[in-house]
Amino acid sequence: MEKLPLGLALDLRKVVPYETGSWRTLMPVNIMQTPPCNQDCPAGNDIRGFLRTLAEKKDYEAAWHVLTRTNPLPAICGRVCPHPCEDGCNRRDFDSPVAINSAERAVGDYGLEENLEHKKLIAHRKEKVAVIGSGPAGLSCAFHLAKRGFQVKIFEAYGEPGGMMRYGIPSYRLPNYVLRQELENIWKLGIELECNIKVGVNIPMDQLIQTHDAVFVGIGAQTGLTIDIPGQDAGNVFSGVEFLRDVNSGKYVDVGKDVVVIGGGNTAMDCARVAKRLGANVSVVYRRTRVEMPAITAEIDEAMEERVMFRYHTNPVKIIQDDDKVVGILSVQMELKEPDASGRARPVPIPGSESVIPADTVILATGQAVDYDGIEVHKRDNKWISANENLMTSIDGVFAGGDAVLGLETVSAAIGQGTRAASAIEDYIDGGVESRLSSPPVIYSKDLNTYYYNKKRRFQKEALPIHMRLKHFKELYPALDFEAIIDEAERCFSCGLCFNCGNCFMYCPDNAVRISEKTGLYEFDLDFCKGCGLCAKECPCRYIQMTLEK
Amino acid sequence: MREQSKYLEGVDKKDLFASGHRACGGCGQALAARLVADAAGENTIACVATGCLEVFSGPYPDPSWRIPFLHSLFENASAVASGVDAAYKALKKGPVNIIAQGGDGSTADIGFQSISGMFERGHNVLYVCYDNEAYMNTGVQRSSFTPYGARTSTTPTGNTTRKKNMPMLAADHGIPYVATATVDDFRDLQLKIRKALTIEGPKYIHILAPCPLGWGHHGELTVEICRLAKDTGLFPVYEIIDGKVTNVRKIPVKVPVEEYLKPQGRFKHLFKKGVPTKEVDVIQEIANQNIERFNL
Repeated sequence: MEKLPLGLALDLRKVVPYETGSWRTLMPVNIMQTPPCNQDCPAGNDIRGFLRTLAEKKDYEAAWHVLTRTNPLPAICGRVCPHPCEDGCNRRDFDSPVAINSAERAVGDYGLEENLEHKKLIAHRKEKVAVIGSGPAGLSCAFHLAKRGFQVKIFEAYGEPGGMMRYGIPSYRLPNYVLRQELENIWKLGIELECNIKVGVNIPMDQLIQTHDAVFVGIGAQTGLTIDIPGQDAGNVFSGVEFLRDVNSGKYVDVGKDVVVIGGGNTAMDCARVAKRLGANVSVVYRRTRVEMPAITAEIDEAMEERVMFRYHTNPVKIIQDDDKVVGILSVQMELKEPDASGRARPVPIPGSESVIPADTVILATGQAVDYDGIEVHKRDNKWISANENLMTSIDGVFAGGDAVLGLETVSAAIGQGTRAASAIEDYIDGGVESRLSSPPVIYSKDLNTYYYNKKRRFQKEALPIHMRLKHFKELYPALDFEAIIDEAERCFSCGLCFNCGNCFMYCPDNAVRISEKTGLYEFDLDFCKGCGLCAKECPCRYIQMTLEK
Repeated sequence: MREQSKYLEGVDKKDLFASGHRACGGCGQALAARLVADAAGENTIACVATGCLEVFSGPYPDPSWRIPFLHSLFENASAVASGVDAAYKALKKGPVNIIAQGGDGSTADIGFQSISGMFERGHNVLYVCYDNEAYMNTGVQRSSFTPYGARTSTTPTGNTTRKKNMPMLAADHGIPYVATATVDDFRDLQLKIRKALTIEGPKYIHILAPCPLGWGHHGELTVEICRLAKDTGLFPVYEIIDGKVTNVRKIPVKVPVEEYLKPQGRFKHLFKKGVPTKEVDVIQEIANQNIERFNL
């Protein structure tokens, strides 16, 4: 036996500490939860992931790779997405939501500047997939399939790829070079593209189905719907889609002095603002009020800033023409009655309130429909393609997504559908059932301990001043400051995922939170944890929760 | 190994007060003792008076202390610390950090004379008082730190006297450094310990350490209760350097005392079916006086 110093009966260095873990009835666990931004993102982006990468590593390249795991078009989404993620952001209840949309744009722009390339997950597979339409849905589906090694071929009806992003969204919102660069990056994955081929007209649908293992239909809603008013065959009456397509393909459109846009959706806003930039006085005619307008709020605000006139409660009755040319529209005032089936107030005309609005051009932005020429699938409400939960249509092996399925939706919703369809197609080809992991519960601000967060001003992107906007189609929001975006990313609460604040580590009265030597993350030493719950209570992002002892 | 979290810069975690002690879950004193020991570092001698801290951290053969630890009687921790200081001087050894530690009973009641003596003789000792506002070790009896209205086993209908203002009493001995702190702000607490140890002469630091058992709240609320004590004004956090009150922690958003009283079982009798009685107004008045006095 070792000789001990005088007075000691026991070598204290060899004593095993008393394990207090046996006192515990509740035990702490680390549970990663879904933040509301990820939950609300129609494209399924890992928003918390890319913001935390920016904030912690200050690494735009890594953030770009996080973002492009799900979204092939970050620079585009960062410009045109109505960002439902920010509406859900838990910071909303604290000060103001994180400017996720601007951060996404900065990350996307960085990717374009540095020519970052997508990584292939599987090098090569022999199966072939045809994608009809190169809009966001088709691109996203092709992107995800190509990443997984499939031979993907896109058929595009128009001269250039991009769908509504090319021909629908005006270039002050989405400059053409951004679209071009982002697409070029996607083609590098080995996707074949054939333009000016309209499936169903130039090439029969059946042939595609026979020669490919699967087909994805992402044809969008390219036909403008008209409303039933007399005089719409006059010259200078356009449908919204048609008008935007003409302007975006660089055609000279003479709109004259006065333009009347009929409708209250996003297409109507785009048409109005484009016509304004072509030098016209624009009024938007809508039969309900601003509240009922389906357009994105920011778009309406910006249109108002640009002095677009809004005439609410006004319904066109007739387009007045003189010698085959529009001179104005006859309109009637409406009043709103009890809501109709769509939940919006039902407009009813007021007798004797007719008036004439002068117009050199009338744009009917009153809805869009799918152009089914040569594509025969089952339809929902006789309008949109009907698809099951795996996005498969009535034809076996033919999948569909985007506006053609959803009705009129956003770019990000179409991207999300493309992603889902790609995974469904992969499972279809592999003969498996689509494996969808259930995501953990969403975390809301009432669950957070916001004491540890600091109030900080939200990043505000600066639009061009109004007098500089209307003379050209240059982008409304100039390039963003990358440094400022990193500051903004630091505002992210990191809801439901540890951000290494160290509260559990410092507050545990029993020192039972340790830094794992393997992973470097905080872990619980359950030999000593008494289960008091202090760590869970003081965890700012609720990554730690107490559960019953096993 | 993960790099040090940027949120923990300027904070010490050395585990000099190790796991395996017998404190209740969520014990504020265990947390405070670890924060103090980690801030003081290895070159420290802890002289601890009888009380919860000594009982739960010192049983042979597996004490939690990883620094030299000297257990004394209830009343003489500061006298023992004075002796350690004198011994080091006589042996011409050191320098060493000597920290005398005790609960509120041994500080304000039983050990007051020895603390007073230590301050007056000017020993180079830091005295840390873990204030949990009653004799928790022996079964929650009233001490002179028990606040107005609190129920203890000896004041079952609520304490009728006000809490002794020990930091001020210590400051009036003319000692160079007095500070108050709470366990929720570990950065501030460790800063004060480190600052005190750089000063020659007797120092006094008063730490509010909630006792889940004696105060009748959940263990998980220890930090929250401290925060509320500060934000209601019931526990002002400040430093007294050479007799002048400085570095007062301003309350960001003032909180009514009910918020602090309600989660605690010892104040439960102050609410009749959730409606506050007139004692709550007295406590609010105490908080208001603190706010006015220290300009919180």
